[in-house]
Amino acid sequence: MQGLTGVASDAAIRVSGLTKRYGDLVAVDGIDFQVAHGEVFGLLGPNGAGKTTTVEILEGLRIQDGGTATVLGLDVATNAEAIKPRIGVSLQTAAMYPKLTVTEVIDLFRSFYVAPRSTEELIGLLELGERRNARTADLSGGQRQRLAVALALVNQPELVFLDEPTTGLDPAARRSLWDLVLSLKREGTTVLLTTHYMEEAEVLCDRLAIMDHGHILELGTVDELVSKRFKERAVRFDDDPALDDATLGALPAVASVKHDDDAVLLYTLDVAATIGALLAAAEAKGVEPKNLGVRRATLEDVFLDLTGRAMRD
Amino acid sequence: MHALMALTRANIKSYTRDRAAVFWTLAFPLVFIVLFGLIFQGSSSNLNLAWVDDDHSPQSAELRAAFAAQPGVTLVDTTQSDGISQMQVGKVDSVIVVPAGYGASVAASSTGTPGVPAQVPVYTDPSRPNVTAQVFQVAGAVFGVVNLAGRPPVVVPVVETVQTQNLNAISYFVPSMLGLSVMQVGIFAAIPLVADREKLILKRLAATPLRRWQLVGSNVLMRLLIAMVQAIIIVAVGSLAFGVEIVGSLLLTAGFVALGAVAFLSLGYVIASFAKTEDSANGMTSMIQFPMMFLSGAFFQIDQMPPFLQVIARLIPLTYLADALRQVMVGGAAFAPLWVCAAVLIGWLVVCFGIASQKFRWQ
Repeated sequence: MQGLTGVASDAAIRVSGLTKRYGDLVAVDGIDFQVAHGEVFGLLGPNGAGKTTTVEILEGLRIQDGGTATVLGLDVATNAEAIKPRIGVSLQTAAMYPKLTVTEVIDLFRSFYVAPRSTEELIGLLELGERRNARTADLSGGQRQRLAVALALVNQPELVFLDEPTTGLDPAARRSLWDLVLSLKREGTTVLLTTHYMEEAEVLCDRLAIMDHGHILELGTVDELVSKRFKERAVRFDDDPALDDATLGALPAVASVKHDDDAVLLYTLDVAATIGALLAAAEAKGVEPKNLGVRRATLEDVFLDLTGRAMRD
Repeated sequence: MHALMALTRANIKSYTRDRAAVFWTLAFPLVFIVLFGLIFQGSSSNLNLAWVDDDHSPQSAELRAAFAAQPGVTLVDTTQSDGISQMQVGKVDSVIVVPAGYGASVAASSTGTPGVPAQVPVYTDPSRPNVTAQVFQVAGAVFGVVNLAGRPPVVVPVVETVQTQNLNAISYFVPSMLGLSVMQVGIFAAIPLVADREKLILKRLAATPLRRWQLVGSNVLMRLLIAMVQAIIIVAVGSLAFGVEIVGSLLLTAGFVALGAVAFLSLGYVIASFAKTEDSANGMTSMIQFPMMFLSGAFFQIDQMPPFLQVIARLIPLTYLADALRQVMVGGAAFAPLWVCAAVLIGWLVVCFGIASQKFRWQ
């Protein structure tokens, strides 16, 4: 995968100095990023961070006040009509013609494109079979969200924009949408998604940008973002009376020892050395650390560190 | 083209599944017409008959005396052409013509040699069914005496029609109501438009290759179709249930219905340009619709309004649509020449289209 710097010259999305104001509010404040072909890229941030505005400029729904943006090699400000047939869009609000049925809405959207996927394929892909003849007004939030994603895939797009695609979904529906995004990725589709779920970004995104107040605070792979700020990792195992804090604190590379409920956390800069010494020390006392594992910091910790507040404050 | 038709179909489905919209655009005008029709049919008055005697025989004099003896009947002696022109301006209700040779024909029958029955033309206005019925009731009573039972008829009335300029209430009202319905079809388009924008459906469509002209075009096609269906229903009910005869060109009628629908649709887009929510679109639609309804001459004739209201009436588009439809459909008196009506509607269309194309927001 591409790292912090390397994005091929034929990037699927290239954004440079992009700015959008609404009156006095600067919604997007001179951001830069690129998305490679075939990449799943995430814009992560709280509500009002500027994620949706950014995406809508790329979709050709808004005109920027400054900077440039190209999508599939075409300038969004001048070539939106050439871009639209090649992209798929799922807006944050998934409402559709309330009095039309699922298949009627899909067929309507199929009529907008030259070589659309079949209605059956789309219904199968999004598991809408049971609700195919239901009016969209009667769908649950999750079903409506799935329909919105189905409509984004009607034209077999090269690039799909998913704005908060799993907001309001139950965990099972969220997982099945994740699987769909991963299968799109396997087929080589580029995906730009916005989310405020850290876990979603960690599971799906090759790279992501953390946004707040119109700025990109940090950009990279999940690993890069986490390891750049949190050099230590935690070696964890179930608390064992045989291993006291004094012993553990003396192990190589251990910076600190913490207790979290029934678990012990050894913060270390060298996971291998610490684990090796821990196992040796345990064996000497005739015990074995149970549920041994390594935990790293999460995006939640990164966001907290960047902004001083939790994501969903 | 495919997308345009698919979107039009989708719009029509959404419309037909919205019972309230269907009621207000299709059923409501009918309810109005039926109510009006029933109210105005009940009224009856004396009959003024133009009497044309081209025979000058004792038999024709007898017939005249028999008509004159009928209760509530007043006879005006005149010529056929004068009688018809008097009927056209509403001075008489019917014209009865006793042709030359009537007396001889009746005399021949009474001597036992049945021949061809004498033909007596009776002119009535079918758009005034209650008057027509009254005329034939009187004629039937008189001719029944002449045609003695058990004999072949000696004299039969021949039905002739002539359109009068003084429209009776229902003939005036049916084309007016059509104009009103066409107005509603047009300006009511604002409500689903604003609703689709509020639900971000228009925004979602903007992210597809669909062009804006296709979006507007599908709306125009759908509204035209509804207006035509309305026109067919209203004309059919008017003529079948209330005997309002359509004397003019159906093609020209359809043309004015279409022009009116498009002009009012552009007014609907203007409303949708300024209304932010579905509720405010509803309010603005009513605010425009009701004054227009009452000032357009659809219910009350404009020359009976106070002068300052007449000024307003002369400005609003419904006045000209309803006037054009009355002229074309039932031969009503012209408030303005047809070309002026068409020009005013086109003017409104152009102005509203200009405003909407500047102010209408898709998201």
